[in-house]
Amino acid sequence: MEKFKFKNKIIMEKIKDNTLKFVFNLKNYPLESLYGAAYVFLDKAYIFLDSRAKDKIQVSLKGKKKLNKKQLEELKGEFLNELLNYTLRIKLAKSNKKIREFIIGQALISAYGPEQEIIDDESNYQDDPLGIAVPWEEKYGKKK
Amino acid sequence: MKIKFNKQIYSLKAVKLAIKDYQKLADFSLEQKEKYIVVNLTKIDKDVKEIIKDEFCNYVLGFKKN
Repeated sequence: MEKFKFKNKIIMEKIKDNTLKFVFNLKNYPLESLYGAAYVFLDKAYIFLDSRAKDKIQVSLKGKKKLNKKQLEELKGEFLNELLNYTLRIKLAKSNKKIREFIIGQALISAYGPEQEIIDDESNYQDDPLGIAVPWEEKYGKKK
Repeated sequence: MKIKFNKQIYSLKAVKLAIKDYQKLADFSLEQKEKYIVVNLTKIDKDVKEIIKDEFCNYVLGFKKN
């Protein structure tokens, strides 16, 4: 087991049976970004997630084919990059939510065009402006 | 073969959906513990015995994203 101290975060790492296990703090990343990164890696590796302490997630990355230590380290690096990518995407999506909704709203309103107006339909089902709800007998008289 | 899925990370729904799709490859039984969903695999198809655990875990994770 190797320990790396990086800005007060201790990342523990273990390599065994074509599998690299490491632990990271979930306080720095939302769980959603972990799912996103894991999803991207489903084709590249076997991934298993576990948590044995609060806010600590253990990630197991197992190569689909035999990988050496260097290749597993590279896989971990790519995974952490993807995790960072997803974290940023989620952060941006949250901070831009209002402006995105505004832009989409504007686009939908402008799709109606300037000459088309939204008509408020206040009629109800009992109104009969075309006179089609008149019974036959009333309109043409009773059958002889 | 036992697989322990942490309830904080994996949902019961995802595990059940995965079992439904994998049921032809083994017999599955589910057990719920305080922190884990324990899946027990028996009568595993010999052709997939080596990889079924890893593939099944990936499959469950795939459902989690959806």
